[in-house]
Amino acid sequence: MRRSRPMPPRATTIAFDVMGSDHGPAEVVRGAAALSLEAPHIHALLVGDGHQIDQILAETRHSGERISVYHAPDFVGMHEKPSEALGRTPNASIVVATRLVADGEADAVVTAGNTGAGVLACARTFQLIPGVRRAALASVYPTRTWHGAKQDPFSLILDVGATVDATADDLVVFAVMGSAYARIISKNPHPSVALLSNGTEATKGPPRVVEAHARLAQHPGVRFVGNVEGVDIPKGTADVICCDGFVGNVCLKMLEGVAETVVELANYAYHSALRWKIGLAMLSNGLKQLKDVTDWQQYGGAPVLGFDRLFIKAHGRSKARAIANAGKVAAKAVTSDLAHAIREGLSLAGS
Amino acid sequence: MALPDRIDPRPPRRIYRWDLDKTYLQTEFDTFAQLVRTALQKASEKQAVPGAAALIRELRAQGDTRLCIISGSPTQMRNVLEAKLKLDGVEWDELVLKDNVRNLLRGRFRALRGQVGYKLPVLLESRIHAPVEAEEVLFGDDAEADAFIYSLYADLIAGRVDEAVLGQVLEAAQVYPDDRARIVSAWRAVPRADPVRRIFIHLDRLTPPAYFARYGSRVVPVFNYFQAALVLLADGHLNPGQVARVAVEMVQTAGHNLLTLSNSFQDLVRRGLPIQAVAAPLLQALEGALQGPGAVLQAFRPLPDIVKAFTRRVAALGGTPPPPEPRAIDYLSVLDDARPRTHRARKRSS
Repeated sequence: MRRSRPMPPRATTIAFDVMGSDHGPAEVVRGAAALSLEAPHIHALLVGDGHQIDQILAETRHSGERISVYHAPDFVGMHEKPSEALGRTPNASIVVATRLVADGEADAVVTAGNTGAGVLACARTFQLIPGVRRAALASVYPTRTWHGAKQDPFSLILDVGATVDATADDLVVFAVMGSAYARIISKNPHPSVALLSNGTEATKGPPRVVEAHARLAQHPGVRFVGNVEGVDIPKGTADVICCDGFVGNVCLKMLEGVAETVVELANYAYHSALRWKIGLAMLSNGLKQLKDVTDWQQYGGAPVLGFDRLFIKAHGRSKARAIANAGKVAAKAVTSDLAHAIREGLSLAGS
Repeated sequence: MALPDRIDPRPPRRIYRWDLDKTYLQTEFDTFAQLVRTALQKASEKQAVPGAAALIRELRAQGDTRLCIISGSPTQMRNVLEAKLKLDGVEWDELVLKDNVRNLLRGRFRALRGQVGYKLPVLLESRIHAPVEAEEVLFGDDAEADAFIYSLYADLIAGRVDEAVLGQVLEAAQVYPDDRARIVSAWRAVPRADPVRRIFIHLDRLTPPAYFARYGSRVVPVFNYFQAALVLLADGHLNPGQVARVAVEMVQTAGHNLLTLSNSFQDLVRRGLPIQAVAAPLLQALEGALQGPGAVLQAFRPLPDIVKAFTRRVAALGGTPPPPEPRAIDYLSVLDDARPRTHRARKRSS
């Protein structure tokens, strides 16, 4: 019997906003170059200062067949106010990158630059999916449990800053979008979805959370597991956690702050007493494994959900590996038609 | 009227010199298992680099050309290599292979991997009999020392490298004394001329293109043979229709598409190669070919997409980068490139 060969993945083009990351253009270009070698079906469109890109590219192993350049010399700095910066530089690399996606020259955008400018550029260039009132910025957070067929040691939290005052409608939409994203990216066919609140009971939280709880409990397209508290985020109680942008941002920053403090304390302990130094040295192998498992660089980036086109925000400190992985995540979301999955989810139960 | 005793072919106007492994053929022999597999492959199992066969056929179709193939493959593989070339419709004038059994029997182990001591004398000896005015275009790859050897060959026959530098190069490359004598003797016999127009280096190992800047603008690293065809179109060696046929072979045999081809085009423009002027005639040729009955260029339809892809790639750059400047090669500073790859790797790791 003749065995059919698996179809090669659909070719996708990812626009990389080369400028604006903490490391400058070098790491983004190197990440895209690595991607051109690892994933033949992904084409990289590098948007930024052509001269700088060419110089870095010429000295980096890459496939010239899978990389092209779009010259956009202006960029938005990491600490600039988004609306002012975009007004001042209408042809900033992030704007040009989103415009190229809207024009069909690329399928998704990856940036490690200014988050606010990225979200604003999306809002000005892309269309919201019908049924979505406000977009959500998602983020991944390392947890102690594994999620989905890929055994991702991360859960998805949304929104972490795009929509500060989300309504009950928005929270339901966030749940549908997060669920679709986890299904596709983490290969988790039935991701558990929770609302972040100040108690697990259905009546806990502000009215919008209570209302969203009631509606999600009836939603046929979402495996809603109820409310979770802040303490449940690192436990990984749910695969997807929904909240408004204000709460999400505060939570995320606090979790990052705690993690940094733990590292600083360990550092302090390491240098303060010999027995601590020995103890930490003995634990170093395990700590390294833990670091590898929860290394955000392997996840690459997190999406802005709700637009008809995909936008992946990589960490500002992303090195080449994280950028390449962000490109892979973007390509996967495009080939799996994430926007369609979200539309389908929203059509269920008229959410 | 008496007929002449014989009719000699017209002397070649252009000579194309090709390496085989990793330049024409997709060969892997970095491990012993790969070496054995390559040695046992039948002609029909060997794969040409996409577009290579079409490019050679189109270059030959121009007439008054000579195709010289110099390969490091052992002479025992002659039958299978000739069969492969015939299968691909490639007609050659010279096919020189390496007699490694002889090297082995004579205990010349350095010569087994050495490239300079093998290729340089063959190139020079071949040039002795070529017409002085015949131009040359050379094709190699980044796996061994092709950029170094071809550049040295070009500068030797042009008289830009003297005997002292040549001696130091041969010393560094650990060339055996009899091969050294052969090289010097052939070099002295070659009429002085400056015929080498381009040296194409197929980036089999995806060496960063900037690495080859040391060899000046004559050396053009290429990711594929569509790029080589574009440069040869700009240089007047091919016409637009012939370039289109190279592209079609790549589309049909290796899954290339409009994206990979337009990206390849832009890559050359970004490196300052003067190919922008050939874009319009190339697109016209494609248009003409598409309108013909049963045209093979159907693979590229629809035409507006092709035009858009190529023109947008150029427009995306904002401006045209300056062409790379010609520069003299300091062979003594790149001597490491003359050594076999294994030696270089060992030297770097020590």
